[in-house]
Amino acid sequence: MSKQERRKAAVVFALIALVFMVGAILTGGGTAKEETIQEVMRDAVLHDINKVSLLGMEVNPGLLAGVIVSGILIVFALICRIFFIPKFTMVPGKFQLVLETVVGLFDNMSKGNSKIHGFLGAYIFAAGAYIFTGTLFELLGVQAVTTEGVSISLPAPLSDINGAIMMGCLSYLIIMSGGIAGNGVKGIGKTLKEYSLPISLSFRLFGALLSGALVTELVYYYSSLSYVLPVLVGVLFTLLHALIQAYVLTMLTSLFYGQVSDDTPAPPKEKRRRKNKKVINKTETAEPAEAAA
Amino acid sequence: MTGLPLNIDPQQILLHLFNFTILFGALYILLYKPVRDFMAKRTSYYADMDSKAEDALHEAEESKAAYEAKVQSFDEEARAERAKMNKEVAEQRERQLAQAKEDAEKIVSDARTEANREKDEIIASAQKEITEMVTDAMEKLTLEQSASDAFDQFLDAAEAN
Repeated sequence: MSKQERRKAAVVFALIALVFMVGAILTGGGTAKEETIQEVMRDAVLHDINKVSLLGMEVNPGLLAGVIVSGILIVFALICRIFFIPKFTMVPGKFQLVLETVVGLFDNMSKGNSKIHGFLGAYIFAAGAYIFTGTLFELLGVQAVTTEGVSISLPAPLSDINGAIMMGCLSYLIIMSGGIAGNGVKGIGKTLKEYSLPISLSFRLFGALLSGALVTELVYYYSSLSYVLPVLVGVLFTLLHALIQAYVLTMLTSLFYGQVSDDTPAPPKEKRRRKNKKVINKTETAEPAEAAA
Repeated sequence: MTGLPLNIDPQQILLHLFNFTILFGALYILLYKPVRDFMAKRTSYYADMDSKAEDALHEAEESKAAYEAKVQSFDEEARAERAKMNKEVAEQRERQLAQAKEDAEKIVSDARTEANREKDEIIASAQKEITEMVTDAMEKLTLEQSASDAFDQFLDAAEAN
């Protein structure tokens, strides 16, 4: 492509963008805003206004988003299973490499943290895929109609507090199952010691995804903020926190799982004290020697 | 509203759980397990290949060691053979030398015997010849004496006459 052609393409691109902007401004002014920003944000937190219908039940839009995300992931997995996995070669191609890297990442994470890692690997893989895809899902802006007939953009499934609680509590139960598998009844006690874990896991996830959703809502609410800024806020931030949240939850789950399933007995306190005394003595004896030197 | 704060709804939590359980099962069966199995298969394939290569290397090292040992044993054998040959050659040489010496001694003694015999023969023949010559000479002398005596006698006789 020559310089002139590039310049022409840039001008055409700028013109198209300008047309879209003018169109957005002209058409945006005509329709009255149905919800104030306060209402939008309150609903994003509490989900008490906009409900969608799912199999005859009135549910939060997050649940519908969760079902769609699951559907997308299952269809993707099915396509991979039918068309790609049977054609796997010993020297992997690009797509095979991506799949193997993702599976290997979670498999190694579980192996690195616990001796009993078969189930943990599968769980953190599913959880990581769900959180990552679910967070990216809000970028698509899939529209749904509420029970009141209002069109809304579906949020990330885990920005619904029920979804986040499910993920946090399930992770805690998985951690407890690791404790039972590794230490029997003692493992339950070990897990119960971390009683704040389900709440912290749930609300960390909820808070992180909700904050993302709120910022996105805020940015998209005002048309003056809807140019250029969404590229950063909408895409980069969402991508980043999709990665971070998927990593944080899976890492915490596997860490705690490894901790409670570890059956190595802790060293007796007496020995520890003696060791400490020895260390103190050593440092005391080393200091005069150093001073003499 | 269910009465719980933040619009927490147990029914929806269970629905989320149901949804995630299905997702977990599907992902495990369709994606995680097959990919992990394939990776394990490849790992075992390469481990097998590695162990085979290691075995082959081990075998090669063993056969190299055996070959070297064989070469060394060949060397030792050759050295021993050479030493044996040298010894045999030395013995043979000694034997031949002894034989030659013996032969030489025999030849010398034979020669000496022959020489003695010849000498004796020569001496004997010389003695014989001398004897014969002496005899002849004596005979001649005797004859000469007798002739001269006869001649002398003749002469004497003649003179006397």
